[in-house]
Amino acid sequence: MAFDILITSLINGSTYAMLAIGFSLIFGVARIVNIAHTAFYMVAAYCIYFTTYRLGFNPISAMLAAIVFVAFLGWIVYLIFIRPIREHEQAVLIGTIALAIALQELMLIAFTGDYRTVPALIKGFAQIGHAKVFYQQILTFGSVFVVLGLMRLFLMKTKLGLAIRATAQDRETANLMGMDESRVAMMAVIISVGLAGVTGAIIVPLTTIEPFMWNHPLIMMMAVVVLGGMGSIKGSFYASFILGFAEALVVFLVPAGAFLKGAVALSIMIIVLLIRPAGLFGVQFEEER
Amino acid sequence: MLEISNLTVCYDKAMIINDISLRVNEGELVSLVGPNGAGKSTTLRAITGLVTWQKSIHRGSSDDIKLQGTVEFMGKRIERTPAHQIAAMGLIHCPERRRPFREMSVLENLKAGAYLLKSKKEIEDNLRQVYELFPRLKERSHQVSGTLSGGEQQMLAIGRALMSNPKLLCIDEPSTGLAPIMRSEVFRKIKRIKEMGITVLLVEQEVSTVFTMTDRNYVLSSGKIIAEGKGEELLKDEVLRKTYLGL
Ligand SMILES: Nc1ncnc2c1ncn2[C@@H]1O[C@H](COP(=O)(O)OP(=O)(O)OP(=O)(O)O)[C@@H](O)[C@H]1O
Ligand SMILES: [Mg+2]
Repeated sequence: MAFDILITSLINGSTYAMLAIGFSLIFGVARIVNIAHTAFYMVAAYCIYFTTYRLGFNPISAMLAAIVFVAFLGWIVYLIFIRPIREHEQAVLIGTIALAIALQELMLIAFTGDYRTVPALIKGFAQIGHAKVFYQQILTFGSVFVVLGLMRLFLMKTKLGLAIRATAQDRETANLMGMDESRVAMMAVIISVGLAGVTGAIIVPLTTIEPFMWNHPLIMMMAVVVLGGMGSIKGSFYASFILGFAEALVVFLVPAGAFLKGAVALSIMIIVLLIRPAGLFGVQFEEER
Repeated sequence: MLEISNLTVCYDKAMIINDISLRVNEGELVSLVGPNGAGKSTTLRAITGLVTWQKSIHRGSSDDIKLQGTVEFMGKRIERTPAHQIAAMGLIHCPERRRPFREMSVLENLKAGAYLLKSKKEIEDNLRQVYELFPRLKERSHQVSGTLSGGEQQMLAIGRALMSNPKLLCIDEPSTGLAPIMRSEVFRKIKRIKEMGITVLLVEQEVSTVFTMTDRNYVLSSGKIIAEGKGEELLKDEVLRKTYLGL
């Protein structure tokens, strides 16, 4: 049992970490609250299902195709739909909610509401005491760390990474250093949505695919961001595992706990907002006149 | 090098800059002084594209922010050019309140300043030059810039601006909030920067020191240029001294 809780919290925590980091990135750089973030994750999952079963792609090319497609979709949607309203927070909020629902409905039309699955990349499991660890779980967990590690390298070591961090801290000054703020914002959108795609691709063998699968991760991701501090990537990382663990505890230890999953996140979110509104590692943005 | 003609800036119908004209010749150190709220920062922001940028992200109607008149830099009109392109032309703005990227180290801040440079070697050279000018920054190169003292942050802001090989450097109130020793240190460095061949437009309130080091000065009050000339000439004017310069 303890081991199951650990595995579940690590897997869920790492999913939330990937999602929340992408979400934080886009918020930090472009000040876009992208409610549709997890809907892109869903689209990636469907993409893999579609390319695997309808087009006969092998699992790796299905994943790559899904990631590229989702990043591209994110870019197009940003250009025609989000960019014109970028500075109007409320409009962006409403717009991205609408976008998420539209994507959900599209998936519902295209694939019906049936639950779908895709096969694991590697089958089998290891027995540790009474608990089973599927190799796919280890693979997923490992991939998350590789991806997050690469992401960190990208942000810390590349020029675009530097521009992204600078813009996230102070758009105006970044502009003065010759960084094209609107281009940096666009790149951040592509990377962020791409990361949602990667999350979908990595996690899809472990979940069921259905048109509402973006709802629960969205709530968790929001709770993570509130707990970790809006705009803080480090905060998102720690908060994801804290919440993943809290959620697993409730699911395993409380009778009918699975129904309380969402409530855990929301309760933590409310408590954090009451006690420490800036979260664990809240970032203060340079005020811009 | 820089030629501003009939520049007017309005925010929400309030005229903040009222038809000013100003020029900076190559190699000069020129100051723009005036009391709080005179519009000094707004003038710099208009020159380096921030007013245009602000207009582009502004939520309300498009005439809430107005910018009229012309700004010419090295023979090119730039009053509609985006801020990042103006920086690429070598017109660099070291902003008010220093604005370091607080979560980055000193070194990363300096690298951000060199964002426009392509060659690694050039970046290294500039870094060496900045460290030579501000040895303090070298000692602190791995410290997170948000934890630097005010004076160190000012050095960092100027160092960061120097990293991109500016042709004209606009510095906004570098001495504000610093202890007297630090102030004279900052002013000494600005003189050095001028001697390095970089043209400087300096916005300041610390008139008594600034007038001893500049080639020419403009006095701004309520959005208008009310006097212009060499320091000693301006100081001869009793009314100007008492009313506008607070001396
Ligand atoms: N974005 C803005 N919207 C509305 N009014 C503004 C804006 N920016 C500046 N102002 C107004 O313009 C006037 C001039 O401001 P500015 O910052 O240019 O003055 P300053 O000469 O730099 O003053 P200080 O010495 O205090 O820095 C002020 O009255 C200020 O309130
Ligand atoms: Mg000012």
